[in-house]
Amino acid sequence: MKTLEDLRDFYNTTLLAELKVLERQRRNVVRKFQYVGIVLLCIAAVVVLLLWHSLAKQPMLIIIPIIICAMIGGVICRFISRGYVTEFKAVVIRRIIHFINEDLNYSQQDYIPKSTFILSKIFSTKPNRYKGDDLVSGRIGATRIKFSEVHAEHESGSGKNRRRYTIFKGLFFIGDFNKDFAGQTVVLPDTAEKLFGRIGQKLQSLNIFRGNLIKLEDPEFERAFAVYGDDQIEARYILSTSLMKRIVDFKKKTNRKIFLSFIGSMVFVAVSYTKNIFEPRIFRTLLDFAPIREYFEDLQLALGIVDDLNLNTRIWSKR
Amino acid sequence: MWIAIVVVVVILLIVVFLYNSLIGKKNQVTNVFGTIDALLKKRYDLLPKLIATVKAYMKHERELLEEITQMRAKAVSGRLSDDDKVELDNIVTKALGGIMVAVENYPDLKANQNFLQLQRAMNEVEEQISAARRAYNAVVTDYNNAVEMFPTNVVASTMRYKLKKVFEISQEQREDVDAEKLFKS
Repeated sequence: MKTLEDLRDFYNTTLLAELKVLERQRRNVVRKFQYVGIVLLCIAAVVVLLLWHSLAKQPMLIIIPIIICAMIGGVICRFISRGYVTEFKAVVIRRIIHFINEDLNYSQQDYIPKSTFILSKIFSTKPNRYKGDDLVSGRIGATRIKFSEVHAEHESGSGKNRRRYTIFKGLFFIGDFNKDFAGQTVVLPDTAEKLFGRIGQKLQSLNIFRGNLIKLEDPEFERAFAVYGDDQIEARYILSTSLMKRIVDFKKKTNRKIFLSFIGSMVFVAVSYTKNIFEPRIFRTLLDFAPIREYFEDLQLALGIVDDLNLNTRIWSKR
Repeated sequence: MWIAIVVVVVILLIVVFLYNSLIGKKNQVTNVFGTIDALLKKRYDLLPKLIATVKAYMKHERELLEEITQMRAKAVSGRLSDDDKVELDNIVTKALGGIMVAVENYPDLKANQNFLQLQRAMNEVEEQISAARRAYNAVVTDYNNAVEMFPTNVVASTMRYKLKKVFEISQEQREDVDAEKLFKS
């Protein structure tokens, strides 16, 4: 496992030279952003002046040209920064991934497909807007893994009634589990029990879409998660006492909402994020260790799942 | 008059509900015990192969192997009560533990592919048995709660339902780790 010290060395010896080149590119992008901003501001001002008379009657309308200019600005800025974002990922993210483990593959545009997301059964709502990027795949020890950033949304209604809400946004991980099993077991963050105690447990057991609620022995695990499955012995076979502890520790370590499911001898892990992961920040300098450290830690978190859940221990029939 | 009928019907429905939920819980206990039984059988099926492989290498553990073979014969004879099954299983588990420790003294055996595969299969069954025991304890706790807690306890006592025992680690296994002895030597 690579440590922060290793990363600092790597940053100073290898990464910094390339970051300097990228930093010039970033400044260029920022300068272009400024030009676009000034031009659009001028256009907005001219429009406001031209329509001054009609605007005097309804001053609220002044917002309209400003909003239009802001929207146009957004589109242009995205267009300008596109090349830089691609370049940034190709250099920085790829380098950090290969620094952690040389055998991993990285693909900027690819992501965990929607079908896999649905297959995991973690989220009962099917997304109808789905996107993602930054797919990392490969093998860590005996375990095949794959993960990417994913944003799944559900949109309903049309026109004014259109509602959109996020089902999941964050890191979605698939790994080859070390035991064979046939059934389905889903581990979800526990909201009902935390709020209502015993009555909450009753409410959870009424969750008809999920299969049976499985009560496990580890009180700390039970407080944090609710487990649903179609075979309670198999669920316990998967969630051994040690794995329950490992999952609790993983949750503490990440300090995020995490969801797991075990289906078809695979483990699916969804770690919720509010920010966009592995994206460059255009208005911040690249020549700073802090953002690099953040990318590194997010990647380590995903790749660390293999160790955290002990997936490389292969003492059972499955190899 | 109508009110009386309604009250009686409601009370009747409640009793039926409690009665059925108790039966459901009792059946779940039986069901999970059945799974443990099936898994134990799976392990007993693996034993002859394991013993045959190990025998060729092990010289000092002949007696232990003989003992396991006999216990297996007793277990698969099918004339045991549930409690006896559990007890015999505890003894077999302990004896197997002894074998697995002894394996450390035979490097050739440790490298034998056949043995390694059997060891994996044994690990798997052991883990499944432990999962089934945990599941058993969970359903028994659920059942025992129903037998003791109000209002199901009223129905349970008329049905003569008694508390069931959860799986415990046998006294012998507990004594395996004696901290005092460890520090003395």
